Amino acid sequence: MTAQVLFQNRHPDRIASIEEYCASGGYEALAAALGKFSRPQVQQLALDAVLLGRGGAGFPAGRKWMTVSENAPFPRYIVCNADEMEPGTFKDRVLIHTDPHQIIEGMIIVGYSILAEKGIVFIRSSYESAARILEREIARAKEAGFLGENILGSGFSMEITVHRSTGRYICGENTAQINAIEGKRANPVQPPPYPTEKGIWDLPTVTHNVETLACVPHILRHGPEWFRNLAATSTGAGTKLYCVSGRVKRPGCVELPMGIRLSRIIEDHAGGLPEGCQYKASLPGGASTRFLPKSFYDIEMDFDAMKTAGHRLGTGSIIVFDQKTCLVAATLNMIEFFARESCGWCTPCREGLPYVRDILARIEAGEGKEEFIPLLRRMSKYLCNSYCALAPGAASPVESLLTYFEDEVREHISQRRCPFK
Amino acid sequence: MIPDDLKNNLIEQIAAVDHPREKAMDVVFTLQDRFGYLSDELLEDAASLLGMTPLEVEEIATFYEFIYRKPVGKFVIHICDGVVCLMQEYPSILDYLRKKLDIDYGQTTADGRFTLLPTCCIGYCDRAPAMMINRKVYGKLTPERIDEILEGLER
Amino acid sequence: MPKLIIDGRKIEVDPGVKVIAAAEQAGIMIPRFCYHPALGSAGACRMCAVKFLEGPVHGIQMSCMVEARDGMMISSTDDEAVDFRRFIIELLMLNHPHDCPVCDEGGHCLLQDETISGGHAVRRYMGKKRTHRDQYLGELVQHEMNRCIQCYRCKRFYQDFCGYRDFGVMGIAGRTYFGRYSDGPLENPFSGNIIDICPTGVLTDKPARFKGRRWDFQRAPSLCIHCSLGCHTVVSARYRELIRVEARYCEAINGHFICDRGRFGFAFANHPKRPRQARIQGNSESYENALRIAADRLNSISRSAGPDAIACAASSRSSVETQFSLKFTARALGWQHPVFFMDRLQQDKVAAAVGRLNPDLAISLSDVEHADVILVLGADPIREAPMLALSMRQARRTGAKIAVLGPRPVSLPFDYTHWPMSPGDMDSALKKLLSTAFLETAEGLTETNIKPETAADSRKDPDAPEALAAMLQNSQRPVIVCGTDIVDLYLVTAAAELARYLHAENKRAGLFYVLPCANSSGAVIASAGGKSFSELLCSIENGNIKALLLVEMDPLYQFPDPERVKNALRTLELLIVMDYLPNRTIGYISETPSLSNPSALKQIIFPTLTLFETHAGFINQECRLQRSTPVHAGGMPLSQLTGGSHPPRQFPCDIPGADAKAAWQVLSDLEAAILSTPPAPGSFHELWSRIGSELGIENRAEIPDDLRIFPKNIQPEPGSAGSSPETAGNSQWNSLKADSCYGTEELSTYSPILGRAESALAKKAE
Repeated sequence: MTAQVLFQNRHPDRIASIEEYCASGGYEALAAALGKFSRPQVQQLALDAVLLGRGGAGFPAGRKWMTVSENAPFPRYIVCNADEMEPGTFKDRVLIHTDPHQIIEGMIIVGYSILAEKGIVFIRSSYESAARILEREIARAKEAGFLGENILGSGFSMEITVHRSTGRYICGENTAQINAIEGKRANPVQPPPYPTEKGIWDLPTVTHNVETLACVPHILRHGPEWFRNLAATSTGAGTKLYCVSGRVKRPGCVELPMGIRLSRIIEDHAGGLPEGCQYKASLPGGASTRFLPKSFYDIEMDFDAMKTAGHRLGTGSIIVFDQKTCLVAATLNMIEFFARESCGWCTPCREGLPYVRDILARIEAGEGKEEFIPLLRRMSKYLCNSYCALAPGAASPVESLLTYFEDEVREHISQRRCPFK
Repeated sequence: MIPDDLKNNLIEQIAAVDHPREKAMDVVFTLQDRFGYLSDELLEDAASLLGMTPLEVEEIATFYEFIYRKPVGKFVIHICDGVVCLMQEYPSILDYLRKKLDIDYGQTTADGRFTLLPTCCIGYCDRAPAMMINRKVYGKLTPERIDEILEGLER
Repeated sequence: MPKLIIDGRKIEVDPGVKVIAAAEQAGIMIPRFCYHPALGSAGACRMCAVKFLEGPVHGIQMSCMVEARDGMMISSTDDEAVDFRRFIIELLMLNHPHDCPVCDEGGHCLLQDETISGGHAVRRYMGKKRTHRDQYLGELVQHEMNRCIQCYRCKRFYQDFCGYRDFGVMGIAGRTYFGRYSDGPLENPFSGNIIDICPTGVLTDKPARFKGRRWDFQRAPSLCIHCSLGCHTVVSARYRELIRVEARYCEAINGHFICDRGRFGFAFANHPKRPRQARIQGNSESYENALRIAADRLNSISRSAGPDAIACAASSRSSVETQFSLKFTARALGWQHPVFFMDRLQQDKVAAAVGRLNPDLAISLSDVEHADVILVLGADPIREAPMLALSMRQARRTGAKIAVLGPRPVSLPFDYTHWPMSPGDMDSALKKLLSTAFLETAEGLTETNIKPETAADSRKDPDAPEALAAMLQNSQRPVIVCGTDIVDLYLVTAAAELARYLHAENKRAGLFYVLPCANSSGAVIASAGGKSFSELLCSIENGNIKALLLVEMDPLYQFPDPERVKNALRTLELLIVMDYLPNRTIGYISETPSLSNPSALKQIIFPTLTLFETHAGFINQECRLQRSTPVHAGGMPLSQLTGGSHPPRQFPCDIPGADAKAAWQVLSDLEAAILSTPPAPGSFHELWSRIGSELGIENRAEIPDDLRIFPKNIQPEPGSAGSSPETAGNSQWNSLKADSCYGTEELSTYSPILGRAESALAKKAE
């Protein structure tokens, strides 16, 4: 068993209590942040720990906090992005159901580092049980004096509220989420200004993924070097919650060193593929990443390594496809999803995705034509010139399908049917 | 009409924030939970409570997935049609529900109990195929389990 | 100043300018749908893609989303950029219906242009086109949602730019829908602009619907004369009928937009009852005969009762040409000096306002947008000068503080502080403000027009002066907006004084008057301290006046006591009316049988031309002289001749109803007939040389865009104001009914469409 940090208090059947969390060193980091460290030191620790945003973008967390200028206006906001809607991703749900207080503690520490007195957990409404857990545990943290007025006598005050999303994939995007919190349509807004300068109601706003926040207390407690050493690669840092689903024996969420090889995750920690199934491809970070064919089976699952190989780690949610699964159908499914969830702002996304869907549906239904292939290529290329990252994400499976599995697409066209049916 | 106790509660909630608009989705959600769906009348009431125009509430109500602007059944079944559930044969689960309830997507059973809708990946990929009923999640669905779940609701 | 190269052209632009705007400065029009100079960048349509070859940004990027920076080398014609834009067009055409033949936008449709220029001709997409239900948006704007390409311009204009909240965007993804919560009239008095800015045919001009193609129209740059701002328009006519008015860009005044009153209020020019032929006692007469008879009658009256028994009146809606030629004619023939205003107080207030403007203080409408503090004194922008409200909103959006003093609750689409005050209270507040807060400044100024005096406390809001003083003193670019309708004369002068003090404190202070009419400035300059109509009325009642010329002036509409006017008119021997409107005196005289007696009052009517049919100059409220260009020759609209049948069935050699001449021409002809001299050829230029010397400008056939005329010595005598007992008193302010949004301005009263729009809004407000 590898080092369990975020899952140190994981139980198969229950949520870790605040007492349990404290017994394992919980809220010590908060005390240290409020007492021992200065705010710049807290930021520097995160930077030194190379804590990269776990929501998929991989932006250095410490640097994000540093962009909130000292004389920025108040109140400032710290937002926990629990709007986990990337298909195949459920790590935040598992984390909240495992040990919620490390998220709360992380929010308070980050909040303190930028003097944010308003904390908001933005959570998808499908995670109603997680939302209730957080509401309950936030109240407990407040009772224990970790939240509210004058936290631990430091003079720093902060409240956290849980904001239920009314449901849209695009709400997971930082700027769209700010609009959603303000009670507006969740259209993304291209920076500048960045939300850390003008976010919620034009006030400084730092948004982090649930997992990123959960890492923060551990970094403060054990130091950046310890955190970096948790990783399996020199470029990575910390552990990572990898979700594995699809064609594996034991789907689930596991905490492993950042940068562990894909093959190890699948075989050692998800039980490998079921009998008679062979690995064909996987999506390493949800629906908005590229297919990894067998040639990448041993790739190191780390932001840098994936990038070097021309891929994206995304959320680290591995969906495994076997040789009997039709990747055209799978891609069509994902495009259906993206087309439905497009916010309707920009043309490539709003109009382009339904076009791609139409073509894929025809191919899958055996009505494909040769000329669809260059058409799809051109579209998946141009989808990348859209307003936000939704359409480029949607283009990833399509583009990689054509790159790695063109034969499979051609088979659909030449046989005038889906060969997997 | 919104009953006075609920109305006062909402007014209180709105008064507690700096920007009433922040509470728009909460108000709409609360009303919907109470009355089943956001009728025109409720939408207009919500708008006046929030100091918004009906158009402004409609702009957001029609944007988000879980606001119902048309009547729905007592139980809204959302079938996860994500890619992982696809691999776990969600279409057969959907077919089973369609036949059992005799409705298609977007429809409500004649007795007003069930509405069937698709939804994107609900993050229960480790327990696929999955569905939600009134935002409570059920995983590892089989026809037998669906029978059990629906019977459980009856009680 | 970033220097960059776009398509091989070097250009230097201000910091912060987007590449798309920089390209425009270099004369390169990058295709766009969502970007609009007034609305800014949205990044929605992705049509303005260009390729960044060198510099800080690389590859295909949207030129509306990237700021021009030093060292950029950009190509708008790069193959990849062109191909990407072609891709966007293909996407936009997936759902756009192929209904161009029946679409009013066809022929001036941005989407059509880009589709053609991008070469997209073959539909490859095999899916269905999505469809929407359209909404009834009122009488002015036609909705056709299927054509929408989701550029968000309408929503951004309607909500962000204007601040109205009943039209917006609903739905998501491919179902994104622009409209209202439910069917009903648009509540935004600037709603017509969404017709102009919609890049395709979703929002079209409803009254102009199906009346012609852009290329069918006679079009010309024109002016709006529905208030004193003088916004620029483009007017389209077809078959002798005015069809449509659009906004014309004017940097100094209206920017890209106009108000709905200005856009839809042109019906007076097509009015079925518009005088088309000369008439004597209600009977049609040739122009020459009418002219001869009028000259004879005037000559005989002049001989019997003296030339000063002949009075004449023009109005503030007349052109400069008309106002001044009447003045010249009256002077040449020894008639009474023409009157231009209904009452002395109104005239004095306008004179005070116009006389106080000078190059340091007078600001243009667009300058209001850059103010950081705006103080509105007794003006109601939406009703008196609608576009002013829009400019004030732009200032508010960038943080300006706005205070409105006045008795009426005004409706403005932004946050502001309202200080409810009667005109008297406003005077007191201003007196106190000037005498306390700006006392030192006032003492430092050598020449003051108003002596600071110890004022009584403002009755209702004793704190107002202090609050206003603090607001103004903390400002850098304060603007004082002052009305001339319900306020006292004192306030008009005090507004100027306040602006002068602020200017003396090294602030970029601006003074902005709202005047009653499109050419109030011209009228007051031409009037030069002459009498008002109410004084003239007394002379008529006293029997001193035998003949009256009403030149584009309708006292039965304008004078507060029309019955008195009717009685007075009855005592005249001769009433000559020159107008392009169905002047209410025409109807009154012809409908009164006892007056048809030839021995009694003789009425002679000469039809005149609107500004759409001739060159017509107007001086707006900041003393800017502007001139319209004729759109068409005029004449009876074909639709009225043929009852709307198409094509026309009658082919007469002359143009029916084209007897009308410009009022100044009629006056010139009348003067020649009276003096028995031949009419002077080329007289427009001659007229302008005379007007020019009156206005203190060179004789110019072409008026430059930025010509402002600040007349000297036209201020009223101190103490003269309001003393006249017959003034339609300002003391009745509290019984004033708030004006309606479109309908009470004289020209708009002839627009049935605006009337219907007004009553729809009123019904909604109930």
